[in-house]
Amino acid sequence: MALAFVLSPFLVLSLGALLLMLAEALSPRKGGLALGTTVVFLAGFMFSVGAWLYGVEDVADKDVLAPWLVVDRFSIFFDGLLCLGGALAALLAGGYLREHDIERGEFYALLLFSTIGAMMVASAGDALIVFVGLETMSIGAYALTAFRRTSPRSAEGALKYFLLGSFAAALLLYGFALVYGATGHTDLAGIGQWIKENGSSPVLVIALVLILVGLVFKVSAVPFHMWTPDAYEGAPTPATTYMAAVVKCGGFAMLLRVLLTCFGDKASMSWSAGWPPALALISVLTMTVANLIAGQQESVKRMLAYSSIAHAGYLLVGVVATMRAPDAGASVLFYLLTYVVSTVGAFGALILCGRKGAEAVTYEDLAGIGRRHPAAALAFSLFLVSLAGIPPTAGFFGKWFVFRAAMDAGFYALTVIAFMNSVVGVYYYLRVLVFMYMREPAAGAPIATPMRSGYVNAALLLSAILVLLLGILPSRSLDMAIKAAGVFGG
Amino acid sequence: MATKTSPTHVHHDHTPGRPAWVMPLFIGLGLVIALVVLTQLFGRAVEKDVASYSAANASLGGILPVLLAVVVAALVPRGHAWNVRIPLGIIAGLFAMFIAKMWPSAALVITEGAEAPKESETILSWLIGLPLAGAIAILFLPRQAPRLLKATTFLVMLGTFAASLPLLATPMGSGYHFNQDVVWIERFGIHYHVALDGISLWLVILTTFVTPIAAYASFGPVNTRIKDWCFSLLLLEAAMIGAFVALDLFLFYVFWEMLLIPMYVIIGVWGGSNRIRASLKFFIYTMFGSLLMLAAILYAAYAYGKLTGTPSFDYFELQRVVFPQRVGTYLFWGFAASFLIKVPMFPVHTWLPDAHTEAPTAGSVILAAVLLKMGTYGYLRFCMGLFPEVSAEYAATLAGVAVLGGILYGALCAWRQDDVKRLVAYSSVAHLGYVMLGLFSQTQSGIEGAVLQMINHGMSTGLLFLLVGVIYDRRHTRQLDDFGGLAKVMPIYAALFVIASMASVGLPGTNGFVGEFMIIIGTFTSTKLGHVNGIQAVGAAIGVILAALYMLTAVQKMFFGPITRAENKHLQDMNAREILVVAPLVLAIFVIGVAPKLLLDSMHDAVARVSTDMNARVDAYKNYSGPMKLLPRRPDAPKAIAAATLAPGGSAPSNP
Repeated sequence: MALAFVLSPFLVLSLGALLLMLAEALSPRKGGLALGTTVVFLAGFMFSVGAWLYGVEDVADKDVLAPWLVVDRFSIFFDGLLCLGGALAALLAGGYLREHDIERGEFYALLLFSTIGAMMVASAGDALIVFVGLETMSIGAYALTAFRRTSPRSAEGALKYFLLGSFAAALLLYGFALVYGATGHTDLAGIGQWIKENGSSPVLVIALVLILVGLVFKVSAVPFHMWTPDAYEGAPTPATTYMAAVVKCGGFAMLLRVLLTCFGDKASMSWSAGWPPALALISVLTMTVANLIAGQQESVKRMLAYSSIAHAGYLLVGVVATMRAPDAGASVLFYLLTYVVSTVGAFGALILCGRKGAEAVTYEDLAGIGRRHPAAALAFSLFLVSLAGIPPTAGFFGKWFVFRAAMDAGFYALTVIAFMNSVVGVYYYLRVLVFMYMREPAAGAPIATPMRSGYVNAALLLSAILVLLLGILPSRSLDMAIKAAGVFGG
Repeated sequence: MATKTSPTHVHHDHTPGRPAWVMPLFIGLGLVIALVVLTQLFGRAVEKDVASYSAANASLGGILPVLLAVVVAALVPRGHAWNVRIPLGIIAGLFAMFIAKMWPSAALVITEGAEAPKESETILSWLIGLPLAGAIAILFLPRQAPRLLKATTFLVMLGTFAASLPLLATPMGSGYHFNQDVVWIERFGIHYHVALDGISLWLVILTTFVTPIAAYASFGPVNTRIKDWCFSLLLLEAAMIGAFVALDLFLFYVFWEMLLIPMYVIIGVWGGSNRIRASLKFFIYTMFGSLLMLAAILYAAYAYGKLTGTPSFDYFELQRVVFPQRVGTYLFWGFAASFLIKVPMFPVHTWLPDAHTEAPTAGSVILAAVLLKMGTYGYLRFCMGLFPEVSAEYAATLAGVAVLGGILYGALCAWRQDDVKRLVAYSSVAHLGYVMLGLFSQTQSGIEGAVLQMINHGMSTGLLFLLVGVIYDRRHTRQLDDFGGLAKVMPIYAALFVIASMASVGLPGTNGFVGEFMIIIGTFTSTKLGHVNGIQAVGAAIGVILAALYMLTAVQKMFFGPITRAENKHLQDMNAREILVVAPLVLAIFVIGVAPKLLLDSMHDAVARVSTDMNARVDAYKNYSGPMKLLPRRPDAPKAIAAATLAPGGSAPSNP
């Protein structure tokens, strides 16, 4: 019984998704799906909270699942986080799809099943489960990207995403195959144990490189980011939100789980013979390139896409720091939490600022919003300020903890580069504020009018509350992140 | 007066058959009687509390302000209605009261021997919280009611000012007061720790004093998006007060960053034609510096954690750490980068002229009067307090930069400006050069002069910006060439502008003289500036001459000579709002100029503490290269929640 309880987030989401599919097929009325999906997601979230409070350490029969699904604080933390991100994305979809007349039931089913895939990745105990979860998550995301069937950009983005994504998945699989060949294990803990006892070998190094490529592709780090701007721009904005929040979280869950379980021994985590230097290089590249390109964009949606790449760079700084700093893993988890609420809010505000036939995409589209629709502009500003990392918002604490961990681990140069990048980031986030508050639309240009949707408003309100709450009282959620990351033994 | 009587003046013309002075006389007499009765009642109440309250003081504190108020109200030149006379009288009376209360003999009565009175722990939080609550309240007021918004903002600011006045009643001495310490984020040793000493006292008062003035001044020219405007101003005030009283480095950083957004919006939304560029420049420059500071704060806290087992961001805890010279140098420059950009010092001063030129008048006033002081205050409190050895080492070099790049170069730049506002902005660079020079000299007189000069600069430059705003509202130009002969059409304006210029130049009798004189003396007697302190003092003195050169040139071009432009012939002199706005600043200039002791007395001991501490540390640990070391806790540090009582690395007890 206890096992069912700690697995409840999975069960609730799966059951809910199946029921909603049935309801969609059988019910003559099409409305209400968004609400249903949100409720399922929130139920998943509540059950995760319940499982967290119940505690997983003492559950007697959890080892029944052990080789395949690991149920620990880390996976439950991600269950909650992914459900929260999913709920917010579903709310946004409820407003957006109806406004733009593309509301079809598949969207919500894909959202739910893809999230289940992400949760599977987060609690995977076996390389094969990692792969199955990853594919479940990704295929949903590919389909969501292509959801605007009539739009060539949507199709283009989806195709790019799909092709490159398959390559990356293949590389990951190949890496795991090599690892199996070298160690004889497919379960992550077994692989880790074997490497700890027998040390590395050339085959394992090649495998590690392949696995790393597969992993950082999913978190869209430079130089594996090429698909991101196109996919993010082409996809309908709620799907973009979903990718930026849930898929990215899933990617980081996978990254941490695989690296710290399989390659968590001393040698693999050392600067001379392990993955940290490669990841550090990728993180520097990611931050710098993404920030520099983001400043050049004319489309806000594309800018936010690059910003999400840049945030992956900051997160990777934290991942690299796990090598020496005890709190680094926790800082990554906390950063993900703050990043999800801020980025969902930012995309949500972008959705709010457009309406049927006149989606807000470029900076120009936002001109004068601050004067005509102060509430929408204020919400947008709050989320951008949080993404920029200015106190007292969630994003500030996220950055603070990651940089602190990096400093703790002695990566001073890396920290300073991350700081410099934050300054560059401020420039393009503020540009949105400039257009909203300080510019008027060009003569003859259409004047932006926000849409009216209770769903979107609810999502924004929820995110705004979370952004401020995490920005002023981060202690509790930070303690949770520390407990969650504690499963890797510090 | 202008040759042509304006319509507003016709309205107040006296009725025929009665001399013009009868009405004022009656009202004045009535006022005297009412106020004397009131003060007698008030005076009795005071006498019961303090036995030694002398008769002289009673009269000074009781009747004199009232008399002065009446005299001022009656002496205001004809043509001004009661809406100018009465507030002016009240302002004068309040100033007199302030002088009487702050007069040393009265203040000394309480301290000797007796147990120190219990201090309010929450007053500083109230000072931060009032404007913050006001800002939130503004969000819920209707956009369509500008009068309501303005009134709320102004009243909240006045309330904050009133709430800050009790701070003056506490004798400051050398320690910290009104200490409040609450755990905020336990795991990282982050506290909400605020306290006040004789140095930050005056900066807080400056903030609460100048902000309502700037806000009131803005209510004329700013007439779009009043709601956003009021919100920004209140948020700005809360953040500024917070930054001056925060003694937890994390908290300080939060307030420091919180300042940026409202100021950015103020420049970017209500500024001039090139406002967006200027606001971005301001933001990026400051953000760049503050992130370096954040890195240094993080490192310092982390190093402390390494030494003791629990990290802490508390100022007094971090002060105990002696860093090896090499590490200390990095940390010092991390902090200094942030503060020197904010001051701003050459060569990172270029954001200032742009920001000032484009900002609306109130924005310029707050920027000049308070925001720049964050840089100098930060340097004094954090750079010199946390890294005394390194700041002593670089003092001579930096002083050279302050003299050449700040005082002299700033003055020469100011001289060549055609735009009055830009001229004042560059004069700020020069004045702040003096302040920094005083700090670098590390002498009692130098630092004291620097703190005083921070206040002085707030008064005189704030006044200059207000006055520039007055003429800009009328002519929509600030080019010196567009004016000339204004003294004939706007006599009051001309007189006030000349007063402000004199204060800025540092004429004896005005506040600028005292500050600059003390700084130059401090520099001259300093033993910490290598062998060039004499040259630097001379350079600073030359700066005074240059100041006279550029200010007087500007005054001459604007106010004297023939009226060259037809548009200038019929300009209106200052109206009631404008006169009331500048009156407190003008009075403050003379009050500080004549009796600087009022301010210096309460900051003297705190400054002495700063310079003795610094000298002691420099003597003991100059060029220290051993391992990081922890000094014992200072006995006079205010009581804080001890870091040791928290379980090391333990999670919050409330967590299940």
